[in-house]
Amino acid sequence: MDPDTAIGGLRDRFPSTRHSLFEAVAEAGTLPSDALDQLVALYWKPVYKYIRFKWRKDNEEAKDLTQGFFASALERDFFQRFDPAKASFRTYLRMALDRFAANEHAAANRQKRGGAVPFDTLDSASVEAEAVALADTDTPEAIFHREWQRQLFSLAVEDLRAHCEHSGKQLQFQLFAEYDLAEGERPGYVGLAQRHGISAASLNNHLAWSRRMLRTFLTGRLRGVTSGDRELRDEMRLLLGSQ
Amino acid sequence: MELNDSTLDHLRAVVDQPDLSGTRYELEGEIGRGGLGVVYAALDHQLQRRVAIKVLDSTLPALRLEEEARVIASLEHPAIVPIYETGTLPDGRVYYAMKLVAGQRLDRYLNAQVSLSERLRLVRTTGEALAFAHTRGVVHRDLKPQNVMVGSFGEVYVMDWGVEGVAGTPQFRAPEQAGAAPDHRSDIYALGALLQFLLPETAPWRLRAIAAKAMAADPEARYSSVPALLLDLQRFQDGLAVEACPETWWQQARRFAVRNQVLLLLLAAFVVVKFFLFFLHGL
Repeated sequence: MDPDTAIGGLRDRFPSTRHSLFEAVAEAGTLPSDALDQLVALYWKPVYKYIRFKWRKDNEEAKDLTQGFFASALERDFFQRFDPAKASFRTYLRMALDRFAANEHAAANRQKRGGAVPFDTLDSASVEAEAVALADTDTPEAIFHREWQRQLFSLAVEDLRAHCEHSGKQLQFQLFAEYDLAEGERPGYVGLAQRHGISAASLNNHLAWSRRMLRTFLTGRLRGVTSGDRELRDEMRLLLGSQ
Repeated sequence: MELNDSTLDHLRAVVDQPDLSGTRYELEGEIGRGGLGVVYAALDHQLQRRVAIKVLDSTLPALRLEEEARVIASLEHPAIVPIYETGTLPDGRVYYAMKLVAGQRLDRYLNAQVSLSERLRLVRTTGEALAFAHTRGVVHRDLKPQNVMVGSFGEVYVMDWGVEGVAGTPQFRAPEQAGAAPDHRSDIYALGALLQFLLPETAPWRLRAIAAKAMAADPEARYSSVPALLLDLQRFQDGLAVEACPETWWQQARRFAVRNQVLLLLLAAFVVVKFFLFFLHGL
């Protein structure tokens, strides 16, 4: 786990039945804790990275602001005010984040001008270097989007792992991890099948099953943070759209 | 688990790919993404021909999609892409295999020099497909240039027949589609929008009036049917008055004069000759 973003980041637990965000809020009148868990698990890292690169904050400041953003969102009926007719929840959240960060930034600058508390917006050297490296290719919005995709897939892979462990399908996950999660060059089909004592056709079937399940878990994760079928469909398209 | 960029891209690609094992098709590659799903090129091993396979989004109820696919498959018309087969993938997504059309999307086809009469032919053929579908109770729901293909022999195919739940595309979407289920009048609006899209800047104002009538905000103010719209287009091409814009007597006379130039010239010549003959007899 990335120590930078350990707070509220990855969670193993997930509800077996996911309602849409809109349904959850409508039923409970407020955001239920499991829906909040899903939401924070998915959005913590994109929010954190967005703050770091758009507002050029260092690690600690970005973590504090991320924490502050979610706390503020909970206090101010942020989720109840979400109107799915106007924008996707992802867009709504990012726009709210912009307003929140801008207000916090302005407040900090006022304090700085008044000489009360020194506020240093300059980042550490490593963050600066990372920001410079990203600056040419990625806007903060693109980084937010990419991290959203990354986090959704990470959570779905964890869901798949947990499912395989509970249902005795460790081999399927092992094959999936060795082939689809390979960080470098992917192993050959025949060699991988031989190593596990199965035929290439079986390997193909196992991988197809794992990918199907991964898609199911992705859909479930997204369903938990969208307002209904239409938004879910649009978000799936955005998630899996052109590379 | 932290996924690096290349692993993430790989997962995004493979998780979306349809698993066609157990079918007669072998996946070749993605062709495009439409309103409700992704279209792939595939090889039909049984008939040794290439086909297009549309895989519909998994978030729509499978039973409804299968039913809709069957209805669309029943539309046999020269301007509607024939569907060969429908089925369900192991992950529950519904797909249909259809003719792989070699040609260009209408919006790209227009990049070349296309005459006004050719543009009107494209609208008419598209409208004929819509009119036929309406007689079978099928509404397109998302007609736009991206959903019309022009084949290499000039044939026109209307694609991506809508399934319940399609929102439509803003520029071509009838206002009532925001709140209610679309009906044939929404398709009339979209056909009007398509006509407007196809018209060059120099297009006659009567053609613009036809598009505007089809795109009236009030569905009751539009043409009553697609054939009524096509008839008005035909009237325009025949030089007759169009239903979309009532004319003043002067405009009628002018159009009559333009349409009957030869007759009027002959008549004028006859009058002149008669006049001279009368004059000569008087001498």
